[in-house]
Amino acid sequence: MNKILSTTILFLFLGVVLSFQSCEDEQPNYIAYEPYAYSSLDENGGEWHPNLLTSSSQVGIPAPADAVSPEYQAELAALKSLSASLTSDQQAAVDYWAGDGLIRWNEIARELSAKYNLAPAPNADGSYSVPDPANPGNYPYFPFAHPPYSCRAFAYFSAAEYDALISAWHYKYQFNRPAAFNADPTIVTHLPKNDLPGYPSEGAVIAAVAKDLLSALYPLEKDYIAAKALEHQNSLQWAGLNVPSDIIAGDSLGRAVGKIFRMRASTDGMKNAQTPKAVSDSIRDAAQATYGWHWVNQETPERKVGITPAFGKVKTWFVPDVAAVRPPTPPAPGSAEFNDDAQELKDILDNLSNDQRKIANFWSDGLATYTPPGHWNKFACDYIVEYQYNPLRAARVLAYLNMAMEDAGIACWDAKYHFHYPRPIQTIPGFKTILGTPNFPSYTSGHSMFSAAGATVLSHVFPEASANFQGWADEAAISRMYGGIHYRFDVEAGQESGKTVGQFAVDRMMTDGGE
Amino acid sequence: MLRKSLLLILVAACVAFVHHTSAQTPTDGIMMSKGEICFGANYMKDSWDEYWEGTLLRDNGNIGTFTRTTIMPMVALGLTDKLNVLVQAPWVKTEASAGQLQGVSGFSDFGIFLKAQAFHFSLGPGKLAFNPTVGFGFAMSNYLEDYAPFSLGLGCPDLTLRAILQYKLNMGLYVRGTYAYNVRGTATIEREYYYTTHGIYSDQVDVPNAFNYTATIGAWLLNNSLNVDITYDGQTTDGGHDIRRQDVGFPSNKMNFNRLGAFAHYYFPFLPGFGVLGGVNQVQDGRNVGKAMGYYVGVTYQFQIFNKGMVDEPISE
Repeated sequence: MNKILSTTILFLFLGVVLSFQSCEDEQPNYIAYEPYAYSSLDENGGEWHPNLLTSSSQVGIPAPADAVSPEYQAELAALKSLSASLTSDQQAAVDYWAGDGLIRWNEIARELSAKYNLAPAPNADGSYSVPDPANPGNYPYFPFAHPPYSCRAFAYFSAAEYDALISAWHYKYQFNRPAAFNADPTIVTHLPKNDLPGYPSEGAVIAAVAKDLLSALYPLEKDYIAAKALEHQNSLQWAGLNVPSDIIAGDSLGRAVGKIFRMRASTDGMKNAQTPKAVSDSIRDAAQATYGWHWVNQETPERKVGITPAFGKVKTWFVPDVAAVRPPTPPAPGSAEFNDDAQELKDILDNLSNDQRKIANFWSDGLATYTPPGHWNKFACDYIVEYQYNPLRAARVLAYLNMAMEDAGIACWDAKYHFHYPRPIQTIPGFKTILGTPNFPSYTSGHSMFSAAGATVLSHVFPEASANFQGWADEAAISRMYGGIHYRFDVEAGQESGKTVGQFAVDRMMTDGGE
Repeated sequence: MLRKSLLLILVAACVAFVHHTSAQTPTDGIMMSKGEICFGANYMKDSWDEYWEGTLLRDNGNIGTFTRTTIMPMVALGLTDKLNVLVQAPWVKTEASAGQLQGVSGFSDFGIFLKAQAFHFSLGPGKLAFNPTVGFGFAMSNYLEDYAPFSLGLGCPDLTLRAILQYKLNMGLYVRGTYAYNVRGTATIEREYYYTTHGIYSDQVDVPNAFNYTATIGAWLLNNSLNVDITYDGQTTDGGHDIRRQDVGFPSNKMNFNRLGAFAHYYFPFLPGFGVLGGVNQVQDGRNVGKAMGYYVGVTYQFQIFNKGMVDEPISE
């Protein structure tokens, strides 16, 4: 009887064990979506105004071989044979990239941001080293993709994609060579067809821009990114979408545009943003002299220089003068207004509800995450897919979203180091938090600014969903109070400035030809 | 998955057991006879001021000394002479001596274990016994598992299949080995994207399965009123990833350790049913875990709650 019992228990558990195993290895590292036919083609997209290129024809590409030329006919024949039958790996690549691949590259950019968003560890003597772009593989690795680094990375990558696609559209409709599958309708395609002219390939443009900029921004990932770009460009042929001459022209255009954006990046002030200690001290002392307070990092050992004290001086995209959008002076520590907000924070942390904890964690976007700008990129991509945007229109959304968020970051950092306001763990004795306090001053809240700017741009593009965006921006903002790392006045001022900054981007959008 | 299943079958194929009418834990060789019930409560304290970040042993000025205090009530019951059930409900408090992060307290993971006696027979000057044990654990409260090192537990359902083989000399000395495979489900965290060795769009974290093992040498002394032993135990996860430099721990980490411990349990001859226990242990080496020193003390009380009835064979030591 006991034997039967033991055996039954054993089999019962083996059964449960097997059912436990079934969900293993199913965690998605990208967001699957059904490839879609574009809701519009934006045939006049070549006339839209780029943000950095002087015109859509600044970068030239050669005229394609004529549709009836023997070389083009040979390309069509080769493509027909190539796409007729795919290996399972080729099919998987086609499904993953879904053609233009803009969404996938945005995910890759987010993943790199998360991977590199780790602060340097202390050295044995209690000092901290700074990542060195000249020796990125020496610990601490370059980059440390903190929010300023990441928001700028997203902005360059996305703005370059948009300008390059405006140029691609210009040439598509200038040369007007039909897509391969329209030139030869017997070519098998594995993705939805559209009537965009095929030369140059928009997918190849997107891959080339991504490869160029992401390799520069994350130099240790050069090989990984190159392999991804190669697979992406190959998938365009496997899918039956583009012949090699479409891809070569797109690649060349993308690389040239990438180079122009890298030129701007090399002179935008970022290289001076992580200041030496002497400069950092003088910024702190100026705040002390003006306001009578200053922020001090509370870690052990203390980080003597905060994250990018001079990021507020980096060149903006749309905001003419960040000092002009600087928020009002916050209440002095110890003032009645300050004490009210400090008390509110203590009360929140002493009585944190499960919902509040969840909101704090959902929006934490801290170390080893893709930061708040990454979070807003994810939202934007969800809506791009839902609205079945073509890559040009999608790139426009991502470009303005990310340029607005970089401007928000720059304006926020201007305020942070101008006011140099101490964090709650510095001003409130014995105060403990549930989120790690970041290594930069308190006022204003970066989450609040990034999110308000992002929501302003996305609400303009997707007005039907504006309530969602505003709700998320409010939640992201208040999440920092639930985490114990910002006062209410940080959050409210950040939201106000973020909206103002976002509106600059929207104003520009309304005149870029893409409305 | 095939590999995991094969291991499970191997584990299931190799088990044994000895029996003594006394209190028990999921890893000891003790069986209670039918109708006996044992209530116990342990107070445990583990602390560390160094931990392994991957394979790098380091300290952390923002943690200082980390302390985990556990109060664990438990009940064991002899369903039959050859099948015991044990439940435990630990309450845990975690805190760090330095840094600005709040500690946590609350009930962590409920555990229920069934221990069977597969065989128990005389062999030379002693008895050889084999106990297969199965256990199931789950979070009792909505604690946050994405909050290393303060998290109260791993936050995932956990199935344990354990083999216990013990050889006990009639004079009281014994050796015991246990081997277990923990099958763990997923933990639900409060964000929708996380990075392990790559980015993952999910709030579900796959917690790696684990092997657990113990090797014990011990003795029953003072006319069977004192049980003392020395145990070397450890865990090796089946998969998982390292904590990266200056990153924080995560439920999907590889979590390996080996630990040396000593234990004593005294049953008062003049207070039938009452016992006190205590022990110490020290982690020797590890990976993505704290180099913890722990101690515990506890009390047990045991009595007959229902009649033994007929038994298959006489239970004796």
